Amino acid sequence: MAPASIGPAQDAIRISQLVKRFGDVAAVKDVNISVPRGAFLVLVGPSGCGKSTLLRMLAGLEAPSAGEIAFVGRTVSSGTGGVIADAGARDAGLVFQSYALWPHMTVAGNIAWPLKVARWSKADRNARVDEVLSLLGISALRDRYPAEISGGQQQRVAIARTIAPKPSILLFDEPLSNLDAKLRIEMRSELMRIHRATGATSVYVTHDQVEAMTMASHVAVLNHGRVEQFGAPIDLLRRPTTTFVASFLGTPPANLLPVTRVQDRFAFADVALAPAAFAAGHERVQLLYRAQDVAVGRVDDGHQLVGRFAEAAPIAGQSMVTVMVGDLRLTGMAEGFFTATPGDEVGLSFSSTPDAAFTMDGERIDP
Amino acid sequence: MTSLALVSGRAPLLRANRVLPLFLSVVIALLVAAPLVKILLATLTPDGLQAWTTVLASPLSANLWWRPLSTTMLLGLGVAAGCLLLGGFLAWLVTLTDLPGRGLVATLSTLPFMIPSFAGALAWGTLFRNERLGGSPGVFQANGFDVPDWLAWGLAPTMIVLIAHYFSLAYTIIAAALSSVGADLIEAGQMAGARRGRIFFGIVLPVVTPALVAAASLTFAGAVANFAAPALLGLPVRMQTLSTRLFGMIETGETERGFVLALLLIAVSAALLFCSDRLVAGRKAFTTVTGKGGRIKRFPLGAWRWPLFAVALIIGLATSVLPVLVLAASSLAPQGGVLFSNWTLHFWIGEGGGALAQGQAGLFRNPMIVEALWNTLKLGLTVALTTMLLGLALAYTIVRNKGTWLATVLSQLAFLPLLVPSIAFAAAYIALFGAPIGPLPSLYGTFALLVLAATAHNLPYAVQSGRSVLGQISNDIEESARLTGAGLLTRLVFIIFPLTIRGLLAGAILVFVKMVRDLSLVVLLFTATSPVLSMVAYRYASEGFMQFANAITLVILVICLAASLAAHLIQTRVQKWKQ
Repeated sequence: MAPASIGPAQDAIRISQLVKRFGDVAAVKDVNISVPRGAFLVLVGPSGCGKSTLLRMLAGLEAPSAGEIAFVGRTVSSGTGGVIADAGARDAGLVFQSYALWPHMTVAGNIAWPLKVARWSKADRNARVDEVLSLLGISALRDRYPAEISGGQQQRVAIARTIAPKPSILLFDEPLSNLDAKLRIEMRSELMRIHRATGATSVYVTHDQVEAMTMASHVAVLNHGRVEQFGAPIDLLRRPTTTFVASFLGTPPANLLPVTRVQDRFAFADVALAPAAFAAGHERVQLLYRAQDVAVGRVDDGHQLVGRFAEAAPIAGQSMVTVMVGDLRLTGMAEGFFTATPGDEVGLSFSSTPDAAFTMDGERIDP
Repeated sequence: MTSLALVSGRAPLLRANRVLPLFLSVVIALLVAAPLVKILLATLTPDGLQAWTTVLASPLSANLWWRPLSTTMLLGLGVAAGCLLLGGFLAWLVTLTDLPGRGLVATLSTLPFMIPSFAGALAWGTLFRNERLGGSPGVFQANGFDVPDWLAWGLAPTMIVLIAHYFSLAYTIIAAALSSVGADLIEAGQMAGARRGRIFFGIVLPVVTPALVAAASLTFAGAVANFAAPALLGLPVRMQTLSTRLFGMIETGETERGFVLALLLIAVSAALLFCSDRLVAGRKAFTTVTGKGGRIKRFPLGAWRWPLFAVALIIGLATSVLPVLVLAASSLAPQGGVLFSNWTLHFWIGEGGGALAQGQAGLFRNPMIVEALWNTLKLGLTVALTTMLLGLALAYTIVRNKGTWLATVLSQLAFLPLLVPSIAFAAAYIALFGAPIGPLPSLYGTFALLVLAATAHNLPYAVQSGRSVLGQISNDIEESARLTGAGLLTRLVFIIFPLTIRGLLAGAILVFVKMVRDLSLVVLLFTATSPVLSMVAYRYASEGFMQFANAITLVILVICLAASLAAHLIQTRVQKWKQ
């Protein structure tokens, strides 16, 4: 399902055929993404996939090598024109991973400076600073210096500074990666609240697929500078188009089994798993099984593989059990708390129909 | 060794733990506090009080105090301003722009500080001397250019030579500060829509302001305390600064007046450093808060890239390579004004009795100079050793007793010499050790006195590097070695020694270099009978034997450069993981 968009002109952000090369290396290759106003776009991928470069091009800090970026129908960067609208002139705000707070200004000074640059009157500035300080719940920190407040508070100041000039596009560069786990979850909902409160269109870069799944209205999974898949988070989970997406998203990670056709069934290490009709015409494919479709221990009509127990983690009353079959890590679910000693033999039963099949190159095969 | 052994003990040897601080307190009281107290007391005797009156409120005081003071302040201000401009400009080019050849410019900008200021003064004289004082004229005069007096002698050349020497100090401080201005800070400004100028004045400049203040005050203090440049370029035309005045008073036997001037010089310099410290401390310490650190935003210079590179290169070459070349050529040329013809090695290895140099033998055939060479090396090595040992022991005691009044007093005393210009410090040593103390003989003019004074004066650096050396051995590192069952000796050899050796050597070599090229401390404390190289060079220069002075200065330079190079090699050899 393609993401809903009203029409190209109304798209808050439209990225077309965008390419960025550093010397001979292409960091971003032929990216096409459009999102409507108010969308929360998450760019997710492993480190080095080009997501930060893409964000910096959106911010106007890097010029694209080819292609085009348009905000609300206005071209702001292109391969031929470079940075057409300056970073400051594209009505966008960026929250840096390092927060980039100016160390010589107080919290209030940091928030007010961009407004001063934009020639707001003093009264308007003060009112707006008070407003964003209370929106972020940091009014008490007003006269502190950045070095005097905690990491989580710095994060809030950085966000307050970015939203103060009321940009219509908010850009976030892995903003939560420097926070501890508890604070990260707290800030996640905080960020979504701010996103709704400002009504801006947000672009959010992360390598954490949980952030992507919980926050996004649209997700683009990037790998090696390419968009592997773009869509609503739930669609990406339901219908991953590549094995990369399938294995990158979801907790616990889905299982991918390389199998070979033996007569009318696909088999892994002589264990027949799925009917050959599931991916007709293919000799070798990869089968995708969700963890919840893999039972630990023998199930009557299940197709069973035996491996060695690696680890178990309790999750909501069940246990996520990881077993090594040869070099392959496979994860299944067991009721209650599962205990075993690493190295113990554990059987995994697979449901009769896998979730999906992929070619050995990782492309989805539709039956 | 004792101190290192103590570092490792979780329950330190109790006895040593008390004895060491006590011993150090006595030593430092003798080395630092006693001379300063004594020089103060010496000016409170009837003769001393008379000297205060003479210096501050008498018909002579204009000459003794006010005029030297205003010259000194003018010199300090000019040098600080020049160093900020030059050092700041180069630091900006190297750290924040896409200047070509940044590595070369960076290296050239740090070199001049290695070259002693009297080398610069001598090179200036070799080029710009005019005929006002007789003697052989400089290169420009000899080639038909009429060098005006103001360019040959006095305040202007002194200022230029000192700027050429001290700007690299400003450069180092400012470059370090600028490179801590992360790209994110600047890009955050761009996102706010600020233009280049606004970002520079609104973000970059305020963030590095503490560094600018520090650079200004340190170069100012350096210029105020400097003896060599005003002595070589100013004294011949009777320009006096506080330090040359102080030297003159003590040389001519007006010891009390000299002491008064020394105290005043200390007051001026300390007040300045104290004020600037307040100024910086009053602001927030701008530790930049970074996650993804280290990325630097470089402004494109566009069409200005190569012209600015040329300017930077010329500044670098003129302040580091050119003086050395001039000194080298001059030491080979029989006529001061003609640097590149009739070269002779006479001034280096010639036999005495000839027509050249009034019959004096060359450098390496002159027993007095050869002795001075050995004296210099001996002094450098001894002081490096004593200073580092004392510094390490002090640093250890201060770190271990952190928070106690003992640590506070020790560290204040250890850093006190930083506020005292070396020539005034030397005067204080004369006040204390110039006469016999009880049964002890007078130490004036002895090697021992110089070692004591130099050790005390270098203490701040030694304590600082001792602290950073001890910082290398965190308790975790030590304890993880203990958990493997390694004994004290094993830990010393395999853990502590490899971690500290670099810092210790670097500190020692720094002290060595400082001593070898020092003039202002030795000029008062050494006598003609056992001279060091810098003294000999200074004396030759004042007598007009420029080739000898230049040749000796070159020898000093070679020693300093070799030591620095050795330090660099050791640094990369011994601790490869640091790269």
